Amino acid sequence: MPRRTVEENRDVCALLERIKKDDREAFQELVSLYQKRIFLLAFSFFRNREDAMDIVQETFMRLYQKIHTFREGQNFQSWIFQVAKNLCIDHYRKNRSKRKEWASDQNIEEMNFSSQDRDDSHQAVDLKMIFSRCLEKLAEKQRTVFVLKHYNQLKYREIAQVLNISPGTVKSLHFKAVQNLRGLISPYLGRVQ
Amino acid sequence: MKECKRINNDLVAFLYGELQDERQEFISSHLKECSSCQRKMERLRKVQKGADSLNEDIKTAMASVDWNALPAQITDTVFGKEVQEPKESWVVNISRILFQPKLRPVYAALLIGVFLGALLTYVFVRSPFQRKTTADLISYPPDFIEKVELEMARRETLDYLKKSQYLILDFVQTSAEKEPSSWQRKFASQKVKDLLSKKKYINQQLNKFKMAKAKEICNQIEFLFYELAQMNDEIPAWRLQEIHNFIEEKQLLLKIKLLEKELKQSEKSEV
Repeated sequence: MPRRTVEENRDVCALLERIKKDDREAFQELVSLYQKRIFLLAFSFFRNREDAMDIVQETFMRLYQKIHTFREGQNFQSWIFQVAKNLCIDHYRKNRSKRKEWASDQNIEEMNFSSQDRDDSHQAVDLKMIFSRCLEKLAEKQRTVFVLKHYNQLKYREIAQVLNISPGTVKSLHFKAVQNLRGLISPYLGRVQ
Repeated sequence: MKECKRINNDLVAFLYGELQDERQEFISSHLKECSSCQRKMERLRKVQKGADSLNEDIKTAMASVDWNALPAQITDTVFGKEVQEPKESWVVNISRILFQPKLRPVYAALLIGVFLGALLTYVFVRSPFQRKTTADLISYPPDFIEKVELEMARRETLDYLKKSQYLILDFVQTSAEKEPSSWQRKFASQKVKDLLSKKKYINQQLNKFKMAKAKEICNQIEFLFYELAQMNDEIPAWRLQEIHNFIEEKQLLLKIKLLEKELKQSEKSEV
């Protein structure tokens, strides 16, 4: 474990001890430390600010309820990411039907890609939408690994801890995710430069 | 080619800097020489570029959140909820145990059982489709029972008359020829008692079917039998003569015969 992480983990353990004694300040400090990382994870999942904010709040509430299950020596970041990831998956499954409706309203095939009439900003919006849809089409585990790797910039080892799988499996899932994304977006890349 | 295949498996990890330094450098130098792997790498970079296109959204979203206020807000919500959470009453706890999702199939099965039980009870016990008994299968005409009773009354009367006729004939003949003790025993016997009790039974039948003539004759016979049953050894001759006179005066034997004939004829006519 890198030195910075060890130190952070030691600080967090001290905070957790205080939180167990209902110390509000310690809890507030812990939220300050991890709020951005959780938000980033949730936002990469949903690409929606409100959903991400809900996940942040829900994650810290769950943390407070399950604080006694955290064992000393465990990596806190992996633990809290695991909580957040599970909440994201639950939330995603609950709202899957709504997302499908929304996705069917705007089909990629129906988008206007006449690149000659469109400026750079329009093309950027197109690429964003295409990629967003392609990410949506990935299998759940592949999407989770890709999000944790690309947007949260976690190492394979850290992702393995969050997902409770081996680093080798993470590497394989990441490879498949990128390959699939390449296959999904390649038909549109010619149209969006 | 084999080298390219192995490198191909590591290209994604290379792109994200996940390989060890040595392997990272080796792939980097291979890419400078191999145009095929370069093309593959280029396609993967486009994916990375596509993924980066969302970074702007992430930055905007991150900038829109007040990170300084959020911790206090979340802390208030979490601790506020913890304090405000009311203690559940025992009623809620019991109802939670009783209505837990695990027990739903049991309740459903019970409900179905009760419903089926009620349905079967209705079908087999109360409904007009219930199985008919033997008595229900045989239907009688409304006056059938009455006819049967009349016939039985007629036969009982005929039987009574016949037995009475024999006894009276016996009395008429033996009282003239033999000692009183011999015929007295006969008339004090069970036969006479049976006939007297039978008369009580046929009285009801005769009243019911309005057989007045038969009833009158039967009453005279009954009277005679009472007299005979009470006789003893010291019966005077005049008393015996009175009884004989009574039989002759009332023409009992003749009336019995006529009544018998009449009853038999009415039986034939009804058949």
